Amino acid sequence: MIARLGRRLAWAVFVVWATVTLAFVVSHALPSDAARMVAGPQARPQDIARIRSELGLDQSLWVQYARFMSRLVHVAPAGTPEGDKAHATCAPLVGRLHLDLGKSAQQRRPVVTILAERMPRTVVLALAAAFVQVLLGVSAGVLAASRKKTAIDHLAVGASLLGISAPTFVIGLFFQWFFAHRLGLLPLDGWGDTFMGHVASVILPALTLGVFGAAYYTRMVRDEMIGQLGQDYVRTARAKGLSRSAVVIRHALRNALMPIVTILGLDIGTLIGGAIVTESIFRWPGIGSLSVTAMLDRDGPVIMGCVLVTAVAVVLSTMAVDFVYAALDPRVRA
Amino acid sequence: MRSIRASSERLRAGARALSAALAVAVAGCSNELPAPIPAADPNGSIAYPSLPNRGGMLTTSSFGDIRTLDPANIGDGLVPQILQSMFAGLIDYDVKGRIVPDLADHWTVSEDGTSFRFVLREGVRFHDGEELTADDVKRSVERALHPSSPNPYASYLASISGFAPFAAGKAEHLDGVRVDGRYVVTFKLDAPDAAFLPLLAMPPLRPVCRSGGSRYVDTWHPCGAGPFKLLPGGWDRGRQITVVRHEGYFRLGLPYLDAVRTLFHVNFTSQRFKFTSGEQDILRDFLSPDLLKFQADPRWKPYGEYELDKQVAGLAMNTEMAPFDNIELRRAISSALDRQQLTLIRAANMRPANLPVPPDVEGYDATLKGQTFDLTAALEHMKRAGYAYDPVTRTGGYPTPIPYTTYSQGIDEFMVQVTMQQLARIGIRLDVRIVNYATFLALRGRRKQVAFGPAFWTQDYPEAGSFLEPLFHSRSINDEESNNSAFYSNPRVDELVDRARHELDAARRKKIYGEAQEIICDEAPWAFTHYYRFYAQWQPYVRGYKPHPMATTDPTRVWIDRVAGPVASRAVFSGDVYAKLFGDSPHGAPRRGPR
Repeated sequence: MIARLGRRLAWAVFVVWATVTLAFVVSHALPSDAARMVAGPQARPQDIARIRSELGLDQSLWVQYARFMSRLVHVAPAGTPEGDKAHATCAPLVGRLHLDLGKSAQQRRPVVTILAERMPRTVVLALAAAFVQVLLGVSAGVLAASRKKTAIDHLAVGASLLGISAPTFVIGLFFQWFFAHRLGLLPLDGWGDTFMGHVASVILPALTLGVFGAAYYTRMVRDEMIGQLGQDYVRTARAKGLSRSAVVIRHALRNALMPIVTILGLDIGTLIGGAIVTESIFRWPGIGSLSVTAMLDRDGPVIMGCVLVTAVAVVLSTMAVDFVYAALDPRVRA
Repeated sequence: MRSIRASSERLRAGARALSAALAVAVAGCSNELPAPIPAADPNGSIAYPSLPNRGGMLTTSSFGDIRTLDPANIGDGLVPQILQSMFAGLIDYDVKGRIVPDLADHWTVSEDGTSFRFVLREGVRFHDGEELTADDVKRSVERALHPSSPNPYASYLASISGFAPFAAGKAEHLDGVRVDGRYVVTFKLDAPDAAFLPLLAMPPLRPVCRSGGSRYVDTWHPCGAGPFKLLPGGWDRGRQITVVRHEGYFRLGLPYLDAVRTLFHVNFTSQRFKFTSGEQDILRDFLSPDLLKFQADPRWKPYGEYELDKQVAGLAMNTEMAPFDNIELRRAISSALDRQQLTLIRAANMRPANLPVPPDVEGYDATLKGQTFDLTAALEHMKRAGYAYDPVTRTGGYPTPIPYTTYSQGIDEFMVQVTMQQLARIGIRLDVRIVNYATFLALRGRRKQVAFGPAFWTQDYPEAGSFLEPLFHSRSINDEESNNSAFYSNPRVDELVDRARHELDAARRKKIYGEAQEIICDEAPWAFTHYYRFYAQWQPYVRGYKPHPMATTDPTRVWIDRVAGPVASRAVFSGDVYAKLFGDSPHGAPRRGPR
């Protein structure tokens, strides 16, 4: 088990390094000028050159890459005082081990600080959306499978098709118009100022993401459940006198949920990378909207930070899925 | 699991159609504009407003964001609006764009126009309570122009004596800024500069508190002498900023508002919802159909106003690249553009342009003919260029499609489709290449990279030189980052633009600029297409609002005349339901202050 974990961790580190390196090269290969984006579209060349030099963008790609990688994870010298200028953009990981993604060219703040502000909001939205899609998707899927070829089944399948086909921005705008503008029940957008404000603010974006994801889950659970309900062990359980609901929930659903675990893990990893459209519609200050802004501004350090977060989230969630899967299914362990 | 996506294409198409219908339904349901929210005092009107209320909060929104809040580092278009409310300058613009005293009580200019002596108001307090003196002015100017500062406007102030050694880091202080007493500061220039006062009125040189130091640092908490101040935690980055009244503001009794809140990243649809429900008080970012509706609605019309024309746009033709090294071809394109038709794309914001200087900018001359639509003349220019075109037989013209580089998600993406049709009438075809905005900016300024493409410019300061010098002076040509994206060079234009910058008499300067504009229009490095102006709509309870010529929204003299409580909701269930559920009002209605 430990050897397996070690192998997976080593592979994860390699994947993250390769992703970050590729992103670094691509972001620098684009025919655009980060210094121009900082200075503005009307700045003069001499001012742009000064800003480029100040940001270190006038150095070669390899020098910049070497500086980035050498700072990314490093050990601070013993006795480094708090607030030391050389480590002003770092975040301590463990002890003297520091993570340093540099300073945003646009915001002129440490990227780790920016990510630390955004991450909780992104995680909240990702988990809320995952909760909605599992709740709606599994419920509808189970209901449809257990009432196969009835009106309920057709309704669930039709609704899921609508959810899959409708673009997120249509669902989001509709929810905004109906629940916030028309009914005035929920905030139109934003993050809220109080705890209850945060709770109220997350409902619509989580529903928007959740409805889209739930549509997939409904179809998947329905198909899996129909397959399971036709198995011999279900007939046996029914023959032994178990109630219909007990058979469906305790036996068939448990087996049907295996693929859900896989997909849910990947979905959470992807959502932590940012739900770009939903965050934009609902002005949700998460990693997704940060990534878009950074890309449009060519803010290299922030782009790298977002790529790193996404890569780590996806890799870790994939690992988690593998281990959970193995824990749930003895055949995988073997 | 994802193989579900491949199932039943017919059903998916049906569902998509249903989704589209849903979207239309959403749009349709919100089609009608609700009535404006009336002011609390029915006797108040725009012409004869009631006495100002003190208190309340003004809320505005933008689809954009700000990245920094330091006058020495202004890289985006929204931040001057915020800085205007936080940092007072020696001088400022009034609502008509005239320069007026602000922190300076008055100033005198030497006869040769190279020395400006400002006498400061006494007793002006920064947000931290310290008194503003001439030393603070000099320190703030040096801080903003020092090479360690990321100030993108530093080189604009190169006319100040001693700028070159200071900007190169060879001098500790800027010789051209001299403290002549506790409240007197003198700026010395190397030569007369008509742009100096307009530049001084911009935010970069505005005094900052002593906590800002003499050199720029990223971690400074913004602090100035403007009517509003930023409290710790007042700026939630990427989301909103709230500034509160500076009780020690030097204009007694001002500002009226308790606070001003600006929301960021709010899309246009959300802004409309917020505005009509009273969550947002001023609206500037419109979807095109919405803007036309507001302007056509007599209930809303009295509470809307155009801001000044500050932008010119056109098609830049790279004069160093074929085929635009052929002046007759440039003239043909300039004559072939039907600007009236082009501006129909966004008629509420765009006006046909015939000159490089917009109408509300000093130096604009309405008597100049400029570039005009004349198809016959365009065909004649094509003939002279060697590419005669017969519109009847559709033979001749330029033999190959001309590459046209534009950017995505901009208005030119739509305009180019009309441009193609108009140029086809003189035998010119375009090969349109669309890149993203950042790439476009890099390509257009690179020598011999982009032959033909959209060009636009917004005034840095309200004077013709702000357009002519960066866009058409040969000094603005560079191998990279060239603002003169047509790479246009004419010694006569250079000489005229330089002469105008040193001419302090406005009438004579206008004449010189006029001659330069005539040459530019004739030689057509750009085919000017339109001027762009924004429209501001506010709720009737917003009083004393006038768009600022440079900073867009200046809340100093604005007050809120609105009844307390969430009066504005258009919801079936009003904010009461919300309050029951969540214990807070979604509308954040301002309290009515004492009269």
